[in-house]
Amino acid sequence: MQRLATTITATLALAAIALQAQAQGADVPGVTNTEIKVGSFGPLTGPVYIYGKLTMNGVEVYFNKLNQAGGVHGRKLVLVREDDLCKPEGAIAAVKKLVHEHKVFAIIGGGCSNSTLAARPDIEKEHVPFHVFAAVADGIVDPPAPNIYTTQITASIESKAQIQWAIDKGAKKLAIIAQHDAWGRARYEPMIQDFKRRGIQVVADEEVTVDQNDGTAQALKLKAAGADAIMLLGYPKPAAVVIRDSIKIGYKPLWVGQTAIQDLPALQALIGINGALADFVSITTVPGHPDNPQYAEWRKLLKDTFPNDDLSVFNLMGIAAAEVFVKVLEAAGKDLTREKFLAAYNTIDNFKSSIYPGPITCKGGHKCNESPAFVKLENNNVVFAGTAALK
Amino acid sequence: MLMFSYLMATGLTTGAFYALVALGIVIVYKSTQVVNLAHGELFMVGGMLAYTCHVMAGVPYLPSLLLAVAGAFVVGILTERVAYRSVLKHGLASVLVATIGVSFVLKGIGRYIWGGKGDYLAFPPIVSPEPLQFGNIMIMSQQLVVLLAVIMVMAALGLFFKRTRAGKWMQATASNPRAARLCGLRIERIYMYTFAVGAAVAGAAGVLMAPLTHLYPDVGFVLFIKGMAAAVLGGLTSIPGAVLGGVLLGLAEQLAAGYLHSSIQDVVAFLVIMFALIFLPTGLLGVRGLRKV
Repeated sequence: MQRLATTITATLALAAIALQAQAQGADVPGVTNTEIKVGSFGPLTGPVYIYGKLTMNGVEVYFNKLNQAGGVHGRKLVLVREDDLCKPEGAIAAVKKLVHEHKVFAIIGGGCSNSTLAARPDIEKEHVPFHVFAAVADGIVDPPAPNIYTTQITASIESKAQIQWAIDKGAKKLAIIAQHDAWGRARYEPMIQDFKRRGIQVVADEEVTVDQNDGTAQALKLKAAGADAIMLLGYPKPAAVVIRDSIKIGYKPLWVGQTAIQDLPALQALIGINGALADFVSITTVPGHPDNPQYAEWRKLLKDTFPNDDLSVFNLMGIAAAEVFVKVLEAAGKDLTREKFLAAYNTIDNFKSSIYPGPITCKGGHKCNESPAFVKLENNNVVFAGTAALK
Repeated sequence: MLMFSYLMATGLTTGAFYALVALGIVIVYKSTQVVNLAHGELFMVGGMLAYTCHVMAGVPYLPSLLLAVAGAFVVGILTERVAYRSVLKHGLASVLVATIGVSFVLKGIGRYIWGGKGDYLAFPPIVSPEPLQFGNIMIMSQQLVVLLAVIMVMAALGLFFKRTRAGKWMQATASNPRAARLCGLRIERIYMYTFAVGAAVAGAAGVLMAPLTHLYPDVGFVLFIKGMAAAVLGGLTSIPGAVLGGVLLGLAEQLAAGYLHSSIQDVVAFLVIMFALIFLPTGLLGVRGLRKV
């Protein structure tokens, strides 16, 4: 009789615990005992789909690998994607859909700066944790919002680092060539401010467009201004065109690029002239080229899941962001809530990511990646060129 | 003076780009009175097919070029059969709208097939990538290839429309489809071959220009706008006009960027279209349609 009573009591206790756990899981959006639903938004279609689709593919590959190893505290991660078309209205709709329809626990995403900026008020209002994986505009995390963190180096940090690098290398006449779209202005304006702060007058300020097919006029004007270092704020195509046409007219300044043109072998291939990047450095998100042996495992995992993809910097950006995101999830513990998750960002202090070149620190700030590293091309290999100590 | 020489030389070679695109637009318009708004995407398809053959599969350049042109020709036939023929009976405006749809479909296919290969795909040049010296200026050798191709395509098309029966059928169909039908011409078939020839020219342009424009699913749009500006300026029905328009547009862009500001460079094409539509509605070498009453 006593044994029966003990068994019933134990069963009831276990059932109560299970029900409580289930109830607890039900209270937290997107979290059950077996899975955590994570949302993502960014361009999946349209001209700049690479910043969304390919980065999300990277996140998914990381999640898949983690899920095969048992997940986070026994819960599998499920990625839900929404296409924002790189448009403000698209991002606002995507966030609303992720929060209210898919009821995700958190969001890891933000492919385009302007659309992510537009979605920020809704993300703040919904209190959904948001981890930025690609967008670089400072306004996404500055002024800080309690639920938004980024592991991407922001535009202002990159722009300052570009100037610092040129000055450190002894450049006296600095010039800018920039795209003036939303992406370009997010970098151009902080760069102009930093030039003013330093009391430097640029000798030339030229413009390129994303579909530029010839940069001779720009190259001629930069050369005529006598610029010895050029801050290049453009995508790979305009960057390749301007460098190619500078070489064509016999002009070889120091080129200082940023993360949009960090895939140096790809840039070299676009320019097509041997030794074209002899005087070129770029800020990097990823210290090595995607073809390097260190990424062999990711290359294979990506191919298994997305046979059309060749591992790219964008995939690696997703993998790198996902690695930190998961680190925070682990630190938040088994009894997961959004509050615990956001608090866990404070435990990320000097985290050595397997992909980001510098340490990741979210403790005390929302810009977790403030270590711009530079790479250059030597014998067609991407090598570490140094860092710029921001002043 | 050196700057002026460079700007003129670059204007000429860039103008050849636009002329090559404009030629394809003119062929289709000359025969069907339709501006094929998917022309830029056919350019992209040609370039991507050549990339698949040459870079991915290792097929030599010339067979890759021919395969890409043939592939674009087939895509031209398919688009006419699937998208344009069924709406032709509702008028040319319906066909125009259908070309917009085809443009989006081709871009989507491009992103699906080649979208994961990187942001911009590099295509190796047919000739040395090093620039060549002419007097005191340097020109990219691939740009000279495009210039040569423009001259060849223009000459071939001129002969085709003046000397061949098929060319004359196309012009007759464009001039008066009903009369052409009464004369026994199968105008649906002529339209089909017109779109296919236009696509083949776009495909050839895609391959020849790929080392300079690079390849990505959206490469065609801006080139289409530039090609359209060149065609409107030169006269939408004139093959030499397309070439003249292309060269003038290239020169205008370079001079504006060199002597005014680089921010104006891309605006020039739109200004040219507006200028031509207001002051030169038939273009520089276009023919005003005459109708006897």
